[in-house]
This record gives sequence, C-alpha cells and structure tokens, in this order.
Amino acid sequence: MVELMADAPIPGENYLSDTRNYPWHRPPEIVDYDEAVDYLIGRLGEPEHSELIYSLIKLKQPLTSIVAGLMMQSIGRGKFAIDLAILAAGPIYRYLEILADQNGMEYETGLENKGRIPITPTTLKAAIGIVDDEELEPETETPNAIIDASQGLMERPETTEPTSADDQAMMLGLLDDEAENADAL
Amino acid sequence: MKFDDAIKKSIKAFLDGKLPEGLIEAQGKDIIYTPEYMDDLAEMPEEPEMEEDDG
Repeated sequence: MVELMADAPIPGENYLSDTRNYPWHRPPEIVDYDEAVDYLIGRLGEPEHSELIYSLIKLKQPLTSIVAGLMMQSIGRGKFAIDLAILAAGPIYRYLEILADQNGMEYETGLENKGRIPITPTTLKAAIGIVDDEELEPETETPNAIIDASQGLMERPETTEPTSADDQAMMLGLLDDEAENADAL
Repeated sequence: MKFDDAIKKSIKAFLDGKLPEGLIEAQGKDIIYTPEYMDDLAEMPEEPEMEEDDG
C-alpha cells in the first residue's frame, strides 16, 4: 500500500490550533484613543526608543514609515487593535514632527508622492500609444554616427579587387621555399 | 489597501484637521489629542532647564 506523504495542513486544522498564543489574537489591552496615544508617546520617551527614533530620522527614514513600524510593533504586542492604530497614527506623526523640529533635525515626511509621474497630455498620449507627427522631434546624430568609420581597425578596404592568386598562395603557405628565396633575391 | 497606505491616509486626514467622528460618537466623550491640541503643543516653548542650586 502506498503511503501518501502529503505535507499540507488537514482541512480544519486551524480550528484546532491554540491561537491564544499570539497577543494579537487576544482582546487588546488598550481600546481608548487617548490612552493609545498616551502609551505611544510614553514609549517614544523611553531612552532606547527615542535613540532609535532619532537615528532613523537622521538616516532620512520617512516619518510615516517610523509611525507604521511603531504601530505594527504595538499591534504585535497586543496593545491595541489595527483600527485604533490607524486612527492614532495622526497624532503620533505630528508628535514626531514636533520632536524633530525642536531638535533642529531635517526629516522626510513620507507624504510626498516622489515616485508619482504627473498626468499631462503628453504622458497620457504616451501611455495610450498616440503619437503625433507634429510632436516628433528631428532625429539627432548619435555619437556613433559622428565617428568616421574609415578610421577603425575593422575598416573596409578601399579597393574591392581580389588578391592575386600568387599572393593568396603565399598567404596560405602553398609556395615552395625555393621560390620564396628566389623572390627574395 | 496596504497598512502603510492606511497609515498615510490617516495622517493626511489628521493634518487636514479631520477628527475621528465615529470614534468620538462611539466613545461618548471628546478626545484630547486633536489636531488643535498638537498645534498648541508645537507652539509651546521647550521646558527650561532647571538651575542647579549652589547651596
């Protein structure tokens, strides 16, 4: 009898696992908005956290990413739920801004759309594939075209006449040594 | 929507002065950390350093 060695979960196995092991599966500790903000501001005041935050700001990490990291950490610890974390992100971001300003630090907000290409008629036409004849720019000579081709090592010979039969035989080593010596004399 | 995008959207809404109305209604009380409160906090002078007593 062939034993099937399937390495896959049994249907319904998730109902048997003890999900209470994970903090985010238990009811959150904080459910109040102000309490959540208080907790996060308190954490930012701790030396090890503030050092890390200041270092990240100096490394030009966007403030939005720092806030998202803080929130993820707190959600992972079961402090508060995801929806409350998203709501508390605003005041925490503003608090980080204030800290950075008070310490004279330059920072990246992370709210700018740096990677976004602005929508203009030209970009829209390019995206759709419409090409106007009027907008076509005149072709410019590329640097390779400017270089004189006759000056290269692989240039084409000026004369197109074939080499004589004697020369070809000499190049191929078919001529006798005596004949070569006679020619040399 | 990804978590980071939701965080950015929430931050932008907060900076625009919008409050979580649904949350305030559900809690049945006003919240402390409003955009105005944070603006006031930003304008507050830093805490002056305490002078050490010579005696």
